[in-house]
Amino acid sequence: MNSNQDNSEAKLSDQLQRLLIGIEASGRAVLPGSNDALLNSIVEAAARIFGAAAASILLVNEEEQMLEFKVAYGPSDRNLVGTKFPLDRGIAGYVAMTGQPIATSNVGQDARFNQEFAKSTGYVPDSILATPLLSEDRIIGVMEVLDKIDATSFGMQDMELLGMFAQQAAIAIDLSQQMENIEKALTRGLRRLVTADSSQDSTELLSILENPQSSKGTVRDLLELADLFNEISALGDAERKACLQVLKVFAEYRRSTRRLR
Amino acid sequence: MPEELVRPAWSQQFAPEAIKELMANGPLASLTPEWAWGGSTGKGIKVAVVDSGVEYDHPALEKSVRSGVKVEYDERAENNYRIKPDDKPSDMSGHGTACAGIIHSIAPEAEIYSVRVLGRNMSGRAIQFAAGLDWAIENDMQVVNLSLSTSLEEYYGLFHDLADQAYFKNIVLVSAVNNIPEPSYPSLYSSVISVAAHEGHDPFTYYYNPTPPVEFGAPGIDVKVAWNKKQYLTCTGNSFAAPHIAGIVSLIRAKHPNLTPFQIKTVLLACASNTRRQKK
Repeated sequence: MNSNQDNSEAKLSDQLQRLLIGIEASGRAVLPGSNDALLNSIVEAAARIFGAAAASILLVNEEEQMLEFKVAYGPSDRNLVGTKFPLDRGIAGYVAMTGQPIATSNVGQDARFNQEFAKSTGYVPDSILATPLLSEDRIIGVMEVLDKIDATSFGMQDMELLGMFAQQAAIAIDLSQQMENIEKALTRGLRRLVTADSSQDSTELLSILENPQSSKGTVRDLLELADLFNEISALGDAERKACLQVLKVFAEYRRSTRRLR
Repeated sequence: MPEELVRPAWSQQFAPEAIKELMANGPLASLTPEWAWGGSTGKGIKVAVVDSGVEYDHPALEKSVRSGVKVEYDERAENNYRIKPDDKPSDMSGHGTACAGIIHSIAPEAEIYSVRVLGRNMSGRAIQFAAGLDWAIENDMQVVNLSLSTSLEEYYGLFHDLADQAYFKNIVLVSAVNNIPEPSYPSLYSSVISVAAHEGHDPFTYYYNPTPPVEFGAPGIDVKVAWNKKQYLTCTGNSFAAPHIAGIVSLIRAKHPNLTPFQIKTVLLACASNTRRQKK
C-alpha cells in the first residue's frame, strides 16, 4: 500500500468519523426531544384554538394492541404520558380502529360511560373530539381535544380543523421516524465500509457505529432490500440494470393499478 | 401536497351558504318524497350494520335486531379471518348501536343485522371489514350501512370489487365519507351512496351535492344516539349522517322493491331538500 493511498484513506476515515458523530449528535440533539416538544406545541396550540380544557396525542402500539399517550396538555398531563389502554376501549380506540373522526358530548353526565378508563386517568371529560393520525395510509394514532370551554360540544368545523392539526402532528411523528430510519441505514452502510477496510484501525469508528438495530418490520425489510440491491450491483453493470428494471416494472405496475391521479 | 391541505373537507359542501339549488326536470319533477317513501316503514327490508356490533336489547332498537355475525381476526384461518354467528349481538364501543338506532328511528320495521368487524386487534381490521361486507353481500342484505372506512391503498381493489358485486346484486351500500382530506374506501366509489354531515336535525332533510365524490349530506351534528350498555350520547360525525340515508333508502326499498341502486340514487337526488321540482 503506497503512502498516497494511506493518506486518502486516513482522510476518508476522518470524514466518516465526523459524519457519524454528526449523525449521532443530531440524532441525540434533535430527536426525540425536540419532536416531543413539537408535538407538545401542536397539542397546546390545538387546545387553545379550539377553546378546549385538554388535548392529547395517542399512538397505536401495534405489538401490544394498545393506545399510548404520547403527549398531553391539560389538567392531568403529568399522569397521562405513557399511559396505555386497550384499543377496544373508549372513543379514541374506536377512532383508531375505524379511521372515522367523532365528537361526543354529555359524556361525563352518564356515570357508566367508560368509567373504568376515566377513573384511571383521574379526568372525566364532558365533551370529546377525536380524529385519526394518518401516516401514508396507515393509522398511527389519534389526536383528541377534550371539553370545549365556551360550548357544550365540538362542531363540524372543529372536526375539520383538528384534522389539519392531526396532519401536522402525523408529519412530525413521521419525520422523526424517517430520520431514525435514515440514521440506521447510514450507520449500517458505513459500518460495512469500515469493517471492509483492514488497513485502518477502525475500533473507534466501530464503536460509534454500534447502534441497536430497529426491530420494526419496515426498517428491517428496507435495509434488507438495500443490502440485496448492493449485493446485486456488486456483480456488475448488467446485473444492476436488470435489478433496477425489475423494480421499475413492479413499481410501474403498482402505480397503474392505483387510481389515475 | 399543498393542494391537498387546502382542499375543503367534505361537509363544507353542506354548510348552509354552500348548498346549491338543483333542478329536477321532465319526469324527475314528478318524484316527490311522498311518492318515494310516504307511508313506508321499511317493513321486511334487511339492513346490515357493518360496525362495532349492535346491542340487540337496547331499548331504542325495540327488538328490530334479527341476528348477526362476528368477524374475528385469526392469523391461522384462511384469509386471516373467521365468521361466527352472533344471535344476540353486543357492541364493543357503542358506535354500531348508534347507527342501528338512527336507521330504526327512520325505518322502524326494517330488520337489522349486526355485522361486527372490530375487535381488540388493529392489524386485522381492514380484512375483517372486507369480510363483513362480503358476508352482507352473500347473505342478501338489501341495504348495508358502512359508517367506517379504510385508507389502506392495498385494499382499494378488494373493496372496489365488493362494491361492484353489491351493485350487481342489487344491494345498496351507504357509506360515511371520512372528514379528513385522505382517500377512504369504499366511500369514494361511484356505485356507493356516500354521505357527509350537515347541520340540520330533521331526519328527512338531506341534500345532494352536484360536485362529487361525496354526494349526500344528512344530519350528523349533535345527534342524540343510542350507545352501548343501554346508554344515550350526543354525537357528531359523518358516521351518524350515513345511517339517516340508509334509513331513507330502506323506506324507499320497502315501498318500491323493483328499484335498482342507480334508480334509488336518482330518486334520492330528485327528492333532496335542495332540489326544486320544475312544474310543467
